[in-house]
Amino acid sequence: MHMADGLISGTVGGVMAAASVAIIAYSIKRIKSDDKTIPMMGVMGAFVFAMQMINFTIPGTGSSGHIVGGTLLAATLGVYPAIIVTACVLIIQCLLFADGGLLALGCNIFNMSVPFVVMYTLIFKPILKNGVTSSKLTIASILSVVLGLQLSAFGVVLETTASGITALPFLPFVLAMQPIHFVIGIVEGVITAAVLIFVYKMRPEILEDKEVMSVKVLAVTIALLAVLIGGGLSMFASGYPDGLEWSMEKVAGTTELEGSSAIHETMAEAQKSTAFMPDYNSKIAGIVGGALTLLLAVAIGFAISFFSKKRTA
Amino acid sequence: MPSLFSAGADIRSMESLAEGDSVIHRLPPMAKLVTTLVYVVMVVSFNRYNLSGLIPYAVYPIILISLSQTPYNMLLKRLVIAMPFALFGGAANIFFDRDVAFTIASIAVTYGVVSFLSIMMKTVLTVATVLILISTTRISDISDSLVRLKVPPLFVLSLMMTYRYISVLLEEAGTMYTAYSLRSPNVKGVKIGDMGVFVGQLMIRSLDRAERIYAAMKCRGFNSIYHAGDSQTVGVRYIACVCGALLVLRFINLSELVGNGVLR
Repeated sequence: MHMADGLISGTVGGVMAAASVAIIAYSIKRIKSDDKTIPMMGVMGAFVFAMQMINFTIPGTGSSGHIVGGTLLAATLGVYPAIIVTACVLIIQCLLFADGGLLALGCNIFNMSVPFVVMYTLIFKPILKNGVTSSKLTIASILSVVLGLQLSAFGVVLETTASGITALPFLPFVLAMQPIHFVIGIVEGVITAAVLIFVYKMRPEILEDKEVMSVKVLAVTIALLAVLIGGGLSMFASGYPDGLEWSMEKVAGTTELEGSSAIHETMAEAQKSTAFMPDYNSKIAGIVGGALTLLLAVAIGFAISFFSKKRTA
Repeated sequence: MPSLFSAGADIRSMESLAEGDSVIHRLPPMAKLVTTLVYVVMVVSFNRYNLSGLIPYAVYPIILISLSQTPYNMLLKRLVIAMPFALFGGAANIFFDRDVAFTIASIAVTYGVVSFLSIMMKTVLTVATVLILISTTRISDISDSLVRLKVPPLFVLSLMMTYRYISVLLEEAGTMYTAYSLRSPNVKGVKIGDMGVFVGQLMIRSLDRAERIYAAMKCRGFNSIYHAGDSQTVGVRYIACVCGALLVLRFINLSELVGNGVLR
């Protein structure tokens, strides 16, 4: 699920962007930069793009879906190139297809790469350690995709609630997201397994010797995840449903101070005397002015289009 | 996301728009990139109840659209893609945030409605501005700017390669899909049981193609170094003007000022 700019706060967007930049920078450092890496990553990025366009039918429902491919990429390219390729695909989807916001890119890159490379290292690789078989590939794929997707969906929930733009409470949001993504995860896991089995039968070398995260990097990543999850949770715990941040935002949203204490009254008086229009509610002024501003903006737009067309004609 | 067959056309139409010629097209790519980033950050920084402050921000994309003559319908199509998630999160506000913010002619407007509208507005504004950047700037110019902004060349090159080969692999996948659907009539999409072979086949073809592309690039002297085009101007004045205006609008509520003036 690609997050949009409308639902995240600058802080969450900034923190996640910083985290993603750090992860990408480290991945670039770790990639063995022979000349071949770049065309390989580029073409695989385009492959992910094309693959996501292939809709499959879900039996019995008549609906269709596509796979995302985080685990698939890690298994065929190794973890660090997989992170870069995911980032490239998400940037292009954001820029060209408005799929996911620009400021939300940090969130999206993090959510769609880190959980899958962690699960690949923790689960996928160990299962296949002593030889590859079809059943091992199936179990490894399903487990790592399902768990990766759960973590990824949880990331979306945390980042959205920590942003505090939507009023959707944490619990119902989690209860809506996790089960849906569990089902999606099983379907994607089964398909990932089928793809990997086919590729292994045709070209076993493609799946061989793929780099995983070292123990140190894995530990740092999990610590980072814990900090982010903890930070997100504590923000939510202290701020909702009736905490400080929530009510402060409501006050900040209203330009009028409504309080019963003496200080509030004095302040309200002071504000009234300095306000442009003490008799009118500032919100009404906001609505009227907003509508006028919008109309004016559209009029300017039309005027510019009209005159520039006239000039070219 | 668009379908397998329309995505390529979408990319091509975007590219042809970027080849156009207008005041906006001629602005330095770096200036457009930086102002777009600043604009998005500013829009997102607005409090969720501050709809009136956000409205004047619409002026910027509207002016850009009309100056660059970007077609509106294209923008609307992209907005449909961006909407579902924002709509989901925004609509929740209407249900969960039911305190009355103010009343207009005895109709109560809740904080939830205000924040829903501001979320929608933010989504429209950010999507529109990013779209205008792409429809007025060539991708190669953007990547040049990225390299100048010290983004590692390895990353920029991968990004460019991905972009270049999307249409190639879409065509490949399209050919496979056409062949598949001719052999399996009355099937919508690919049957789930065939997905493994289908996607696996596409993956192997892609990897083979990557090998051939690598060989071809090597023949032409590729050595992982990014060669930027002619040095671009940065457009400091444009960046300063736009960012200055955005800052002023961020802290002065123009809507309320206009409203007060009119109502008085």
